Amino acid sequence: MTQILEAKERMPEDIKKVMHPLIREWFFSKFKDFSLTQKYGVLNIWERKDILISAPTGGTKTLTAFLSILNYLIIQAEKGILDDRIYAVYTSPLKALSNDIHKNLIEPLEEIEDLAKKKNIKLQKIRVALRTGDTTASERAKMARKSPHILITTPESLAIILTTKKFIENLRELEFCIIDEIHALDNKRGTYLSLTLERLNEVSKIYPMKIGLSATIEPLGDVAKYLVGIDEERIVYITKVPLDKKIDVSVLTPVEDLINDANLTIGMYSLLDNLIKEHKTTLIFTNTRSATERVVNHLKEKFPTEYGDDNIAAHHSSLSKSHRFDIEERLRQGKLKVVVCSTSLELGIDIGYIDLVLMIGSPKSSSRALQRLGRAGHRLHETAKGRFIVMDRDDLVECCVIQKEMIEKKINKIYFPKNALDVLSQQIYGMAIYKIWDINEMFLLIRKSYCYSTLTKNDFLDVISYLSGEYSLEKNSVYGKIWYDRNTKQIGKRGKLARMLYLTNIGTIPEESFVSVKIAPSGENIGAIDEGFLERMKKGDVFVLGGKKYIYMYTRGMNLYVRSTIERQPTIPSWFSEMLPISFDSALEINRFRTLMKEKLNSKQKEEDIIKFILQYLYLDKQSDKTAQAIYNYFNEQHNFLEIPDSRSILIERYRSEKNYLLFHSMYGRRVNDVLSRAFAFLIARAGGRDIEIGINDNGFYLAGEKMKIEKAINFLKKDNLEEILKEAIEKTDVLARRFRHCATRSLMILRNYKGRSKTVGKQQMKSHFLINAVKKITSEFPILREARREVLEDLMDIKNTKLVLEWVEEEKVKFKIKDTSIPSPFALNLILQGHTDLIRIEDKQAFLQRMHQEHLKVIRER
Amino acid sequence: MKYQFLGKTLFFQEQEILVIGDLHLGYDYMIQQSGVLIPERQVEEIIKELGEIFNRIKSKRQQLKKIVFIGDIKHSFGYKWKEKDYFIKVLTFLREHLKEKDIIMIKGNHDTIDYTFSNKLKDYHIEGDIAFIHGDKIFPEIFDKKIKTLVLGHIHPSIILSDKQGIKKERFKCFLTGKFKSKETIIIPSFLSTIEGSPINDYAEEYEDFFSIIPKKDLMNFNVHVVGDDGVYEFGEVRKLINRMN
Repeated sequence: MTQILEAKERMPEDIKKVMHPLIREWFFSKFKDFSLTQKYGVLNIWERKDILISAPTGGTKTLTAFLSILNYLIIQAEKGILDDRIYAVYTSPLKALSNDIHKNLIEPLEEIEDLAKKKNIKLQKIRVALRTGDTTASERAKMARKSPHILITTPESLAIILTTKKFIENLRELEFCIIDEIHALDNKRGTYLSLTLERLNEVSKIYPMKIGLSATIEPLGDVAKYLVGIDEERIVYITKVPLDKKIDVSVLTPVEDLINDANLTIGMYSLLDNLIKEHKTTLIFTNTRSATERVVNHLKEKFPTEYGDDNIAAHHSSLSKSHRFDIEERLRQGKLKVVVCSTSLELGIDIGYIDLVLMIGSPKSSSRALQRLGRAGHRLHETAKGRFIVMDRDDLVECCVIQKEMIEKKINKIYFPKNALDVLSQQIYGMAIYKIWDINEMFLLIRKSYCYSTLTKNDFLDVISYLSGEYSLEKNSVYGKIWYDRNTKQIGKRGKLARMLYLTNIGTIPEESFVSVKIAPSGENIGAIDEGFLERMKKGDVFVLGGKKYIYMYTRGMNLYVRSTIERQPTIPSWFSEMLPISFDSALEINRFRTLMKEKLNSKQKEEDIIKFILQYLYLDKQSDKTAQAIYNYFNEQHNFLEIPDSRSILIERYRSEKNYLLFHSMYGRRVNDVLSRAFAFLIARAGGRDIEIGINDNGFYLAGEKMKIEKAINFLKKDNLEEILKEAIEKTDVLARRFRHCATRSLMILRNYKGRSKTVGKQQMKSHFLINAVKKITSEFPILREARREVLEDLMDIKNTKLVLEWVEEEKVKFKIKDTSIPSPFALNLILQGHTDLIRIEDKQAFLQRMHQEHLKVIRER
Repeated sequence: MKYQFLGKTLFFQEQEILVIGDLHLGYDYMIQQSGVLIPERQVEEIIKELGEIFNRIKSKRQQLKKIVFIGDIKHSFGYKWKEKDYFIKVLTFLREHLKEKDIIMIKGNHDTIDYTFSNKLKDYHIEGDIAFIHGDKIFPEIFDKKIKTLVLGHIHPSIILSDKQGIKKERFKCFLTGKFKSKETIIIPSFLSTIEGSPINDYAEEYEDFFSIIPKKDLMNFNVHVVGDDGVYEFGEVRKLINRMN
């Protein structure tokens, strides 16, 4: 097992001792002293000890990473022994970090070279090259001919390079490998990179030392293991640089009475307007693309003299690249007064100086909140100013608790998807292109990756079967991308076109399916919308994209053609399931707060004492007594009406309106509630319940239907049978079909480029249900289908923490409690109202047809 | 005219004629060639489904005298040896159950080549007072006085049903029946499970007269029969149904 140790702060004199005089002179001509991050990191890297450096934004991490490397290269360059090979690879998941690289690598290098010239010191030229998806063919050829010494690249380009013979030769003696922005890799791209790193380790005859750079993140031990992989001989040092970025944060409510004040919306926009006016540049986060559009739209409409296209902009991932780039440029140049985004500007690229960050609605986790705040006042010693703007009482409590976590430096845990078979397929294919492997050699290498250290031999062999075309039941070369010889136990690529196929289809791991939106008839690209959303729109609908209104004209293939319109009122889209889920850790924090409030109200403490407690516990400043009052009132209402749900119970409200309702106050976040709700709905439906409807949010979920015997279901559901039940429950759902399609694309089952032609398959053929049904006919255990299920249950939903909750129930730490009510309690209201956007019905196609038929007959008969 | 809906196929009990909708053999092969690596199962499935229907007929003590394929038996517009292979397989299967002369194949717009090379594909087929055509072209013979019933395919009717809140949406195949030029007309859905035309939901805005021989104004008065797993459900007239759904 990989050993994890803590890095210590080193003395400046020790660092100076190893520095080449040129570097020393250059460094101290620019900086007074080493930064704290450098004191922790530079010598570790010089001593070739793998290290993970975690520090808040603006903590000079990048220069820390490059300093020792430049030192080493300068020494070689002066001695004239610099070889034509790659000494260091730097990779970042965010492509446009070129500004950062320029500042921290290119400029220093140029300045040092100038210094050397002045001193008549002869230095070999140190070459730096950038390689991303946008690098031209001629630039790539140049790189292959004359190897750079430092290669700056993206995770995907790195994987491509590992199939290129010329580059592989230049990587045989790789000494340094920097992985930047690790906190952005808690997804399949991260899983993918973990395998690429092991491939890199195998290609290079010497083990390239690893330097991991990340923002404040937890759990550091796991992230360190992710960085260096799992192997007895590997040791990694962790440093959590004790830097403190000062934050000035508070929670604002637009109006005092969040429930009854009809001017809530107007109040919010006035509040926004005032705040924006008081600052030079404001960045607003709204969590969803639809809210982004709505806010920009309303600000332009309500204050037409203040906000226009020249000083306000909407930014989100559905907009075209050129659009986004333009906004980022204008922001950098200080030309925009306010930019509203979903989450798209949270990470990475330098966007200039922001003096206020606003978060409309909860950011759902403390690390995300800190990340966003980190965008304000970019340099380390400036205070980052941010405000939460809350829109309802649950939001109020949530934001206050998250603010508390921020202040107490409680960071939620991140998690890397493990044993993803689709990513594995793509990587094995890449490995087979590079050389012939012994199957065990390949398996052992894969298991060194943190994300695949628990991969079973069975899963591995199933993926090999899939890649070699065995699942198609015909030895047709169309399927086989690799061959596997069971006698010699070897694996290799199949067909001369293998590499071409790989190169033209590898790319950024696709995460969503979009339909391009174009102007009719010119075809000018405006952006993209979710395919699921398109399915719900029809001709003539007016929607907003990029702050402008468009009317749906027609669709052709995978494009939606629109015309811009100014008159019509938009039916602003709500992107289904776009809502960010609250982190499990923050949900438990809220539960903790609820438990304390319950105790105090139960023991009949005085109102003023409880309010004092709230102010203190949530770090609310003296001006916030109205906020504390609002929170007290909310809890008091719930306490008087029913009871406060807390961490010791899952309170279930049972009441009847047009149907029977069961409302679960399970404060575990929507990812866990997605699992629980489906499990219960499935069990109830199976026991004869009819027409079960589900609604979920972060605070709980509800089931509605005709007959529901919940006690049986509660007694039946256990940690050990949860997975089996969920597997059946999600089998016919849209979400599984859609995720399957994504997995199929990642595992190269669906090619974007085949035999030189790009995909001409129409939207119909690509319909997710068609694909999943075709595959199920082969076997329901098709490895890529298994991966889709895993992705849904582990990455999208949270089956792991749900099992934990059920374990607490079995250990009687948490009890289910059913209470009958005549109307929903105050805490339940939001769930009932909000839950509507996430309704799911559990019924199969045939039952649905019968139900629709009944409804139509009713209408027909009434005529 | 007595007929039954047997799943997605049409059966005339008296004449003992089974009508099969557009087949589009070679469709999955086309998809593969476009880069979606789904295995070729089309022929297997079609043969299996045909077998099941034959059994159903037998189990009702009925006979299968003739089978009519309403056109678009193959998919691609050119010659593909793969398609020919499929075609021969299906034909071989049919020959186990019916005499050659009782296997009738209508020429659809996709049937640019006759894989039997024996002039098997016909523009239309008349059986008593029933005329079978593909539906893309008119042949004056079908409007003869003695013809009382028209059977066609070509437009692959389907319907998208969704509930009021738009939570659930499903697509179903359907039959359309009505009157055209005073003939009883039946439009049958495609036999291939994955191919559907534009759903009738869009007929008001998108259906054009040139889509098939049935003009829009007549089509809107046709009745919709939705195909479910256990039977066919009546949903009333196209025009009224569209209004209800919008």
